[in-house]
Amino acid sequence: MAFLEIRNLDAFYGRARSLHGVTLDVEAGRIAAIIGPNGAGKSTLLDSILGLVRTTGEIRLDGVSLTGRSATEIVRLGVGYAPERGHLFPFMGVRDNLLVGAHTAPRDAERNLRRVFDLFPVLEERQNQETGTQSGGERQMVSLGRALMSSPRLLVVDEPTIGLAPRVCHDIAAALRRMNEELGITILITEQNVNFATHLARDVLVLETGEIRLRGTADELMNNPHVREAYFGH
Amino acid sequence: MTNILIQGLALSGLYALVAVGFTMIFSVGRVLNLAHGVFLMLGGYAYYTAVQVFGISKGAGIAIAVLAGAAFGILTYTVLVRRLEHNPIAVEISTLILAVVMQALIVVVYTSAPKSMWPIVPGVFRHEGVFVSHNILAAMVLSWIVLGGLVVFVRRTRLGRALRAVSMDRKGAVISGIDPHRMSLATWAISGGLAALAGVFFATYTQLTPGMWVAPLIIAVAVVVVGGIGSIVGSLVVAHLIGFMETVTTTLVAAELRGVFTMVLVIVVLVIVPKGLFGREEL
Repeated sequence: MAFLEIRNLDAFYGRARSLHGVTLDVEAGRIAAIIGPNGAGKSTLLDSILGLVRTTGEIRLDGVSLTGRSATEIVRLGVGYAPERGHLFPFMGVRDNLLVGAHTAPRDAERNLRRVFDLFPVLEERQNQETGTQSGGERQMVSLGRALMSSPRLLVVDEPTIGLAPRVCHDIAAALRRMNEELGITILITEQNVNFATHLARDVLVLETGEIRLRGTADELMNNPHVREAYFGH
Repeated sequence: MTNILIQGLALSGLYALVAVGFTMIFSVGRVLNLAHGVFLMLGGYAYYTAVQVFGISKGAGIAIAVLAGAAFGILTYTVLVRRLEHNPIAVEISTLILAVVMQALIVVVYTSAPKSMWPIVPGVFRHEGVFVSHNILAAMVLSWIVLGGLVVFVRRTRLGRALRAVSMDRKGAVISGIDPHRMSLATWAISGGLAALAGVFFATYTQLTPGMWVAPLIIAVAVVVVGGIGSIVGSLVVAHLIGFMETVTTTLVAAELRGVFTMVLVIVVLVIVPKGLFGREEL
């Protein structure tokens, strides 16, 4: 039994169907990546895991069904989410943003705060800076840190490198690896940056027009002619 | 002059109690509660019933009034607003209808005759030609204590942080495990309690009448429009600006013009600074 199991997932915005029968597994302790172009349904898939869109099908975390649960319950069950563009609280300082992330795990707040500052030392230096005034890279760090504050067992991260400089992408990748290796958190990311995804993740899936087209190890996908043509142009 | 200062401060504190709740409801739920003045009216009538009809102590009367306002806030949100909040215009229309219905119910139970209220704190402070009733001083001090507590609550507590989070980014709050409906419920309860407390003092300040919900609603709208809808600090500052303006107008110009300058200020701000002087939509 995989840690995260998704079976025949359809997702809907009104009457429009955005995902078509998505089935995937993420093993415990692994990092998995979903790559795909704009509009492929990557964000919708992650929103579905958090119960934010209407879906049919089945989503299970460690054997427990997430289907029909509210986002609050799903976060309590151990899913942390760092969405695209962060969805931070712009007029709050970094520390308060992080403490909001501890809403479902207040007893772990101090320990998790230390972990976040250990992963991203720059955030400790700027605890009182309003996130609305921060750079894109720092906001991404706050977003990941806020997700970590809920003591997640599964961390889902939507396009963590979008709009970031290569150096910052490297730092984000290093932090995600540490979360996985040192804290034992299973991670599912979506990415358009195939190099980033295949360097970070062991298992990679290709999502296009709401359907899983390919799946395999990072090496297998990098050698796949369709992936090479679609994402590298050769 | 000292009289004007103290009267202005007392009136401003009460306006702030009303307006802050109104702005909190908008910030967290993105809806305008046009029944907000009813919280105030219910507070006044609950206190009157408890203290002047049943002879309960004044302290208990205030507590009953605040609880009545909070309970009515919870009821309004749960029964009405929760089902309509995806449509803000429906919320505005239905809360306005609710206010009219509540006024009619109050007339049925208490008649439309104004009720005179005993001062909560009797007596007058006299010092070098200055005469201020203890009731006004009590209203002023209590308003400031409550408003100070509210600011600390919103800035420093876990629930306050969660309320601010929902007001700034609803999705960000939801994926942090915060239930926005619970936050709205808490906001309606807090707003109801604050307005009911203001209602007790308003009633002892003026009179208790079934139509007393209208003027505070207009004041609340004026305060949040001028202050910037959603801004607690803006509401506090502008409540004092309007409170002083009305006190000066009543005392030095003409009592009949009391609300006129406030309305002119609203129009001027809407034209020049549409987002308000402290404009933003988050707590």
